[in-house]
Formats: sequence, structure tokens, C-alpha cells
Amino acid sequence: MKDYNAIIVKNEKIAENIFSITFDVGEEAKVRAGQFGNISVGGTHLLRRPIAICKAEGALITFCYQIKGEGTQKLKTMEAGTRLNVLMPLGNGFFVEKQERNVALVGGGVGVFPLISVLREYGENKQINAYIGYRNQNAVCGVEEFEKASKFVAVTDDGSYGAKMNAVQAFEADLKKGYRPDVVLSCGPTPMLRALKELVKKENLPCYVSLEERMGCGIGACLVCVCNLTNGERARVCKDGPVFNVNDVEL
Amino acid sequence: MANLSVNICGVQFKNPVIGASGTFGFGREYNELFDIGEIGGVSTKGLTLEPRVGNPTPRIAESRGVILNAVGLQNPGVEHFIKCDLEWLKATGTRVIANVAGKTLDDYKNICEKLDGLVDMVELNISCPNVKSGGMAFGIKPQSVEEVTRYAKSGLKATPLMVKLSPNVESIATNALAAQNGGADCVSLINTLTGMAIDIERRKPIIANNTGGVSGGGVKPIAVRMVYETAQAVNIPVVGMGGITCAEDAIEFLMAGATAVQVGTANFTDPYAMPKIIKGLNEWCDKHGVKNVSELTGTLQLNQR
Repeated sequence: MKDYNAIIVKNEKIAENIFSITFDVGEEAKVRAGQFGNISVGGTHLLRRPIAICKAEGALITFCYQIKGEGTQKLKTMEAGTRLNVLMPLGNGFFVEKQERNVALVGGGVGVFPLISVLREYGENKQINAYIGYRNQNAVCGVEEFEKASKFVAVTDDGSYGAKMNAVQAFEADLKKGYRPDVVLSCGPTPMLRALKELVKKENLPCYVSLEERMGCGIGACLVCVCNLTNGERARVCKDGPVFNVNDVEL
Repeated sequence: MANLSVNICGVQFKNPVIGASGTFGFGREYNELFDIGEIGGVSTKGLTLEPRVGNPTPRIAESRGVILNAVGLQNPGVEHFIKCDLEWLKATGTRVIANVAGKTLDDYKNICEKLDGLVDMVELNISCPNVKSGGMAFGIKPQSVEEVTRYAKSGLKATPLMVKLSPNVESIATNALAAQNGGADCVSLINTLTGMAIDIERRKPIIANNTGGVSGGGVKPIAVRMVYETAQAVNIPVVGMGGITCAEDAIEFLMAGATAVQVGTANFTDPYAMPKIIKGLNEWCDKHGVKNVSELTGTLQLNQR
């Protein structure tokens, strides 16, 4: 973990309301799939924006973000050459064990971006199927990355791109045809994660989910971004997560 | 090199910059970024006798120039802190201030007894705006401030007592005086100001607790004014906080009457805020011919009206 005074190399729209920003952090950064960075947009914005790392290529780190409030509105206007502080890499990330040969990725909304990092880290040595749900055709992005997967199924809520269903339903359809991954990795809206939790429980599949929560420090000190664990305790999404075994967390 | 050390009721701090309770955990996380032994002190996450799970999420929101939080005193309990974190924190070389809260007067006494002699100072949290019981209720009326201070003090033989004051009161200086009368060795202020931020699409407050404590750069002028008024009223040391982001901010508080300062929200904006403030204090003192930072305390000269 380091606070990089990073230079923006590229900051561009990749889908409706979704931008991709690439920083040069000045040195090769060791990043695991599923980790995130805490980006300072400066000015009157005292909190940083915790955003999943999508790609780490040497010193070039790419984040994809959805325009949600004033902070991301401001981030969107920042041009190449601007320097921002980026504290990273943060969180535990996704781990795929050696014996887990078949990996299913199930993602929706902005949750698709940490899954791209999984594909980039493990894609060469694993059989990876990606089931990705978008709101509609205007929200479709990351296709050039997901096409590198062993199988890529894109679906939309309105059927304007791929079949009209959600990512969990797409995944379930393949399970019904006999597909059986060793592990399922997921990130997306909470209703999607809930549906997935039910499905993997029924199918008895190991599953890890990456959670999102409003954060303070981003490093585990302030206890702002907690989630409820099934054992009654609370865990810090930023430090103990963002990736949790789906059986350990209440969604 | 100016001498940055300060003495607060008999406890020597290597510099006047202290990590504010709730923003700094027990120091472990920030120690991954810099040696926390270099900062004057750490006020721990608020401790209670029993572990607490705190409030539901979201616990934080942002508004221009400030943030709001309502964590609700989530903590592993004082015993766990003593067993698992205290020795480590002391070994870093920073001063350890245990921030404590309770539901009853006896809670305050009991928790102080457990920490007596183990930590460098106890900071009484009677001003947490984010829990129904345990804090704020004791921090509003001067009589109850004095009473809870007396109870806490009765549990402390070897460790000095700092009372953290709420700004959500009629007169913070009057409450500071009440703490002094109750036996406080020093006071710290300000805790957060109660506020609300609304998500207009959902027509609901952003924070699950509905209200939260406002902190950050935007509250600084209020905090400076309150520190000034308090320092005028009491004869025990005052530790100032509220929106301190850089060395110049810290100097304002010292001039207004603070012996030391606490830094909270700025740690979220810049995790290196405290080491930078310490460095900046040193540079400012050198540039202005100040040999000891303690010379700055209370040197404010009001304009003639």
C-alpha cells in the first residue's frame, strides 16, 4: 500500500455514465485481482473515492467508474497530465486456488470491472466463464476483455444486447446444461449477489463476492465500511474484504 | 529544528499532534504507511466495557468541505484493547490516550479503573452524538459533565484525565469549567457537530443513523472560536481539534489557547496528514524564530473594537 501521486494518462467515456481512467503511478505496482484504490479528487471533497482496479499493467493502473455524485462528476472532467493521489493497492482481492481450474465470473453493473482483473490475472491458466449482466446496450463495456474468457455470456435487463435476463440467470442456465465450476467469483448489485447466494447454496458451489460500501479511511482504521457477518460480528469491507466467502456475509 | 515537545498535565508529548479518536483505530493501519512513533500521541477508537457492534451502514457521508459520520462506538471492548493492542501501541513510542465511553456513571468509573496506570492518559467521551446511550447525554448539561468527570476521576489514581467536550451545547466554556470542577486534568474539543445530509432521490438521510457528526475543514472556524472561549475560561490545558488539515491550521488552535491538537478527518483525505503537519510546524517555527512550539499557546491578540 502506497499513496501514489499519479499522473492521469487517459480518462474517457466507455459506456453510458461509465468512464475509464488510467494512471501512471511511476513504478511497477504489485496488484492482486479484486483489489482497489482510494482516489483523491481534491478540492472540497474530503473523502477519497474507493474504486476497483480493473487493469494493472506495470506502472499503468486503470480504474472504471460510474458517475454517481459530485466527486465522480469532477473526476470525469480531469484531463491527461493531471496528478491525483491514489492510495493503493487496498483490500484482500480475489484468490483462485491452484486446484480450482474452472472459474465462473458472475457480474453486473460496475461490478464487472474487478472481474476483468480476475480474467487478466488468471485467464491464461484457467478455464474461465464470464456471465455479465448490463442494464441495456448503452451500458455494455469491457467486452474486448471478457471476450478473452473461455466463454462469455453477455445479457441485458431489457434484451437490447444478448438475452433478456440477468447474469445469475445466465449462469444458472449453463449449470442446468451440466456446467460445474470449481469456484464462483462475483461482484455486482446486492439483489444480484443475494440471488447468486441462493443459487450457489442450492448447487453447493464455493463462491466469493466483492462488496461495496461507503468508506472513510479505506485502510481499516475508522470502522465506517463494515458489513454484517453471519456469525454476528462485523467485518471491515476495506481491510478484511472487499472479497468475502458468500457464506460468511449477510447480504 | 524547533523544539516541538509539549507537556500536557505532566505527560510529555514529543510533538503536539495527536491522532483523533475514531479516525485512527489503534494505530496499526497507519503504521503500515509511516512510523506512528513519530506522532505526538494516538487517541484510540472509543472503548466501552463490553464490545459494541455500532450502527448500521451507511455510516458516512460527504458534504462540501465536511464529512458526516455515525459509526456508533463499534469497538472490541476495553479488555480486548488491553490484551491485544495496548503493548504494541506503547512500543511504537507514541503517547497512548485511551478514549472511553459508557452508558452509566459507574461504567465510566469502571473503565477508568481498568486503564489506570496502563495508558498515558484517558480521554472521556461524553460527547459522541451517534449513540442513544453512552456519551452525549452526559455531555450536555454542566451539572452532568461535572458529575461524570468526578466519577471517572475517582477511578484514576495514576493516569491524568482529559474530558472531550461536545460543541452541541449552550456554552462549551461553561461545560469545560464544569469538567475542571469535576477534576479533569485537561479538556479536548471539539467533538463533531450534529448534522444531516439527504439523498434527494430517495428522500432519505444518507446515513443510516439519520444524523451524523460533522467534521473536517469546514468546521474549523467554529472549533477555533470554541477553543479560544474555553481557554479563556479554564486554567487546565486545552487540546484543540476540528478541521485541522495543515500546520497553519494547527498553529491557529495553538494561538487560540490549545497546548496540543488532534487531527481526525484530514487522515482520510491524506493518510500522511499528521507527519506533514509535524514537518510543517517545525518549518513554520524555524521561519518565525520560534524555539519552542509551546511558546505559541494562547498568544492570540484580539483586534481592538
